[in-house]
Amino acid sequence: MAPPHGGGSDAAAGEAVAAPVDQQQQRPISSILIIIAMQTEATPLVNKFQLKEDLDSVFPKGAPWVRYYGTYKDLQINLVWPGKDSTLGVDCVGTVSAALVAYAAVQALNPDLIINAGTAGGFKAKGAGVGDVYLISGVAFHDRRIPIPVFDLYGLGSRKPCSTPNIVKDLNLKIGKLSTGDSLDMSPQDEASITANDAAVKDMEGAAVAYVAEMLQVPTIFIKAVTDIVDGNKPTTEEFLQNLAAVTVALDESVTQVVDYINGKCLCEL
Amino acid sequence: MAPPRGGGSDAAAGEAIAAPVDQQQRPVSSILIIIAMQTEATPLVNKFQLKEDLDSVFPKGAPWVRYYGTYKDLQINLVWPGKDSTLGVDCVGTVSAALVAYAAVQALKPDLIINAGTAGGFKAKGAGVGDVYLISGVAFHDRRIPIPVFDLYGVGSRKPCSTPNVAKDLNLKVGKLSTGDSLDMSPQDEASITANNAVVKDMEGAAVAYVAEMLQVPAIFIKAVTDIVDGDKPTAEEFLQNLAAVTAALDASVTQVIDYINGKCVCEL
Repeated sequence: MAPPHGGGSDAAAGEAVAAPVDQQQQRPISSILIIIAMQTEATPLVNKFQLKEDLDSVFPKGAPWVRYYGTYKDLQINLVWPGKDSTLGVDCVGTVSAALVAYAAVQALNPDLIINAGTAGGFKAKGAGVGDVYLISGVAFHDRRIPIPVFDLYGLGSRKPCSTPNIVKDLNLKIGKLSTGDSLDMSPQDEASITANDAAVKDMEGAAVAYVAEMLQVPTIFIKAVTDIVDGNKPTTEEFLQNLAAVTVALDESVTQVVDYINGKCLCEL
Repeated sequence: MAPPRGGGSDAAAGEAIAAPVDQQQRPVSSILIIIAMQTEATPLVNKFQLKEDLDSVFPKGAPWVRYYGTYKDLQINLVWPGKDSTLGVDCVGTVSAALVAYAAVQALKPDLIINAGTAGGFKAKGAGVGDVYLISGVAFHDRRIPIPVFDLYGVGSRKPCSTPNVAKDLNLKVGKLSTGDSLDMSPQDEASITANNAVVKDMEGAAVAYVAEMLQVPAIFIKAVTDIVDGDKPTAEEFLQNLAAVTAALDASVTQVIDYINGKCVCEL
């Protein structure tokens, strides 16, 4: 496998998002930023790692974003959630909120590694089942169609996460590609793009977090748990809501496993 | 018209984005212009004789570019999300616009945001190529979340800062804007755009509105029509053909609006 490149600016499209080669890759990871879109997804992890809510927010007044923090083994853990919309009261899902909270959290907290964890729709045609947890091998958008040469690639925003061959091997996680879009449903155009992206799972934040992570040069991995089968018989919304609580338990277990694995290792050992 | 409210957190969905009430009474002294494409920005940079900030206020790695200067009684900052560092094209779309809006407001603390740019227009709603619209409402058309309340969150309907005098005295066309990350338009997008009652369609506005409301900065939106979405010509082609000429029209209108703002407070707009 090719050594990671330093710096995002000279990486070709699709190259792994990597930290500056010097320091970060060789020292054990000491600080992890976990980015999670929904409170239901976050709560089990906040409890598992016994994180405290930061009431003296590092974020600007007006931003609904919530930070939980604590120490777990040799790691400083920050978990951020974009919070509830201040007018409507629902989780701030989607690419804009995810990008903003990722940006603000990285600027404030300077993590060594980002883990974007959350739920996703799965495609049974690609082998996904409810409750499966995927370690993501590539991300892209499926709802940013700009049919002008090169702009089309920009819209697609195809990126590879930080390379983690040992996590793949030692933790026996399913591997697959993630496609991101701002809709919970799936239009025929979305479906065509998701197919072109060769995605096993579909979410609403991943590729936006990847964009910010690459910009700010923070290595990132994505862990997504399947709540509903997109190409199945049940309506998405119904299946998603039915399975959300149970699947977040599976998500919690896998994220804990990954964080335990990371503990004491440097990036290049992952 | 109802007086502007202080604070975004108690505004009902669709309420105007307003600055804290005290700010409303002082003359606007600093404007942040947010523009997605270099072609749209250049005429304004030249018109206001802005200089590029080479000692960037933005983090290393961010491609965002700031131009700044003084024009009459106003400090003007114009930010553009720059060119993608790998692909070399303008960083269009909602994610880039939201990020640059957020970072620029945090760094520059403007009294007012002007999001200016090009858009597709709907002839069924009276739009023509070269028209410039002062926007009366924004919403997304490609964030469909069919769960009660999440659906409203996805649509993200917001009103710009209320500017009845700008509209009246400058005789600008007024209409609603629908935002999405695609240049083209699927049937689902079209249905949402129709439900949004939009005259014009862009790729940034509703995202800028979201950030502006979060950070309580009044924002207005000025959009110039490059292509007719419900017309005969293919969008990408018509857009590229008309881009340069229409940005000249955009420049003229934005200049007019800024001249109008000069010396006034937000409540006089």
